[in-house]
Amino acid sequence: MARQTASIQKAEASIYSYWFLVPAFFIFVIFFVIPTAISLYFSMTVWSFDSSTFCGFDNYKMFFSEYALTIGIKNTFIYAFLTSGSKVVLAFLIAVFLTGKIRTRNVLRSIVFFPNLVSTVAVGIAFKAILHPTKGYINQFINLFGLSSVDWLGNRSLALFSVAAVDIWKGLSIATVIYVAGIASIDHSYYEASSIDGASRWQTLRYVTIPLTAASRNTVIILSLIGGLRSFELIWTMTAGGPGFASDVMPSIIYKQYTQGFFGLSTAGNVILLVMISIVIFPLQKLLSKSEEAMR
Amino acid sequence: MKKLVALLLTLLLVPVMIPAMAEGPTLRIAVDTNASADGLRAVIEKAREDIGVNVEVEIRPGGDEGDNLVKAWIAAGEVPDLLYYNSGSKLLEMDPANNFVDLTAYPHIVDRLADSFKGAVTVGDAVYGVPLTSSQAGAILYNKVIYEELGLEVPANWQEFLDNCKACADAGYYGLIGTFGTSWSSQVLFLGDYYNVVTGYPTFAADFEAGTAKYAITPSAVRSFEKYTEVIPYYNPDYVVATYEDGVEYLAEAKGAHWIILTQALQNIDSLYGRETVDEIGVFCVPADDGNNGLTVWVANGIYVNKNGAHVDEAIKFIEYYISDAALDVYANTLLANGPFCIKGYQMGDNAYAAVAKDMQAYFDAGTTYVAQEFECAIKGANCESICIEVGTGAISAEEAAAIYDDDCYKMAVQLGFNWD
Repeated sequence: MARQTASIQKAEASIYSYWFLVPAFFIFVIFFVIPTAISLYFSMTVWSFDSSTFCGFDNYKMFFSEYALTIGIKNTFIYAFLTSGSKVVLAFLIAVFLTGKIRTRNVLRSIVFFPNLVSTVAVGIAFKAILHPTKGYINQFINLFGLSSVDWLGNRSLALFSVAAVDIWKGLSIATVIYVAGIASIDHSYYEASSIDGASRWQTLRYVTIPLTAASRNTVIILSLIGGLRSFELIWTMTAGGPGFASDVMPSIIYKQYTQGFFGLSTAGNVILLVMISIVIFPLQKLLSKSEEAMR
Repeated sequence: MKKLVALLLTLLLVPVMIPAMAEGPTLRIAVDTNASADGLRAVIEKAREDIGVNVEVEIRPGGDEGDNLVKAWIAAGEVPDLLYYNSGSKLLEMDPANNFVDLTAYPHIVDRLADSFKGAVTVGDAVYGVPLTSSQAGAILYNKVIYEELGLEVPANWQEFLDNCKACADAGYYGLIGTFGTSWSSQVLFLGDYYNVVTGYPTFAADFEAGTAKYAITPSAVRSFEKYTEVIPYYNPDYVVATYEDGVEYLAEAKGAHWIILTQALQNIDSLYGRETVDEIGVFCVPADDGNNGLTVWVANGIYVNKNGAHVDEAIKFIEYYISDAALDVYANTLLANGPFCIKGYQMGDNAYAAVAKDMQAYFDAGTTYVAQEFECAIKGANCESICIEVGTGAISAEEAAAIYDDDCYKMAVQLGFNWD
């Protein structure tokens, strides 16, 4: 009898706790699950304002036969890994510098964060002007040293990297802030212990700071990689995927299809992008969290 | 402090409320930033006096962004009473039957439209719009001062054109101005060569729509893309990123000799550099290889009446007035025409640009004009600009470009419900 009551109580307790999840669950279903399911359906139709025709996997076939797609997928990965990798390394170095014993570090920290306060579109438009081949500041500066102008955004093999460089500049700030928080939360006793052991500054960095910022580093990697894979605003404002298709990435291809009125096709593209990001991110996240646990 | 903020907010509301209190309906007309609205505004001003219809101009973005906005308006049922939008193939994307008033019920309007324009706003049996502007051409603008200095003649065929480009480049000018930074301008050579495509294959548009003709297997169509590869050596060094505004500057200030562009650039040159400069600019068509030349013409874009709007009658009254001789005179005096108007029996004043009155009119008089492909054929590749830039920067060959363009058109055919399989 007593045992029965206990098990009922236990069951009630577990049901009771589920009630707390209900509001969040509804929000999640209404705003995330249902739209995803609907978009799966519409990705298999040719649709416009008020009508849709079911066409099976034709949109997917058409999407994969898109001429710009090969360039787009390649560019997407180059862009994502290049920007993410640079941010992980550069932001760490800046964060180490900013957590050091320098007098103006609070001012410097704010300065580093400034690019993040500016809208990406504004940054894109500004840099498009700065990188202009004849009228841009950067080329005028280069010319001062007698070097010839570089066509940053018009050169087919350079355009993507010019945009990536701006992306890195802009994205460093948030990565740095995450690192600074990570470094600041390292217990001082580790540093004291290492200094008693006679560790050099490099050894302290290598064996204390780097391992103990694994959590922040993983956050930076995941965030910047996802950001890079679906990066759109900068590319769109600076080159619009051009010249031609030279700096097209997956999101810009999808956006173009959408603006051109191929709604079903672009929905299919979004589903493919979702799958693509998932394939990259989920295993990576697993790998990273495993290594994080191993370090503890 | 709070009171002050509240007071300020109330004050901010006042200007918003004033127009709402004005008497009689005020129609809204949305035009995009690419259309010079000065002529329209002048006509609106006159319409208020003459027929008592109030119209308010609303500027919307142009290009792809504008297309999206208009589509969003349609989806949300918020289309303004009068809408300015492309005629030709793009009109079809807007589902005109459900959104715009069929003007065939108003014969006095439809009868005034020139056939070239009527064709571009006809879907099935219905006619949907009146022309907002004059027609124009996709052609080669050239600087006559440079031509005079170098003793050049208007080229009789494509090879002579290349020779002229070379002569100008050798003399230190940009042989040909490229403005791919404003991406739509990159396709004008391709689209403006349509007269030559049709000379080589008269039923191309119909066969293309039916899915039997393809760019890649039509020699005169591949030739359009080949022309891109042949002019590459003569471009200004920054042609990949230079913008339309740069092009206006290069041509008007005689830095460059030729610019393949829509003749609407004449208006821009006029407003920036004045009448004297614009009359130093001449026009010739994209030349054919065999010298059998003709001009590819863009008929005007249309003004459409929102079928579901609250003021359909007033809107009809306004467009009827808009194409009357009185209104056209007002329009043409405010904004000189880039080409003939698409209204039957209307004679332009004698103050037209030299390039229009002499050079362009000659093609019209000789009957060697043809409408651009987008006004004849519902299907246009949506990535046309990018493909033209690819071939124009030497990234792909002309044959590849034609094949990619065919694939691109296939997407449009599917979306519009053509059966191409």
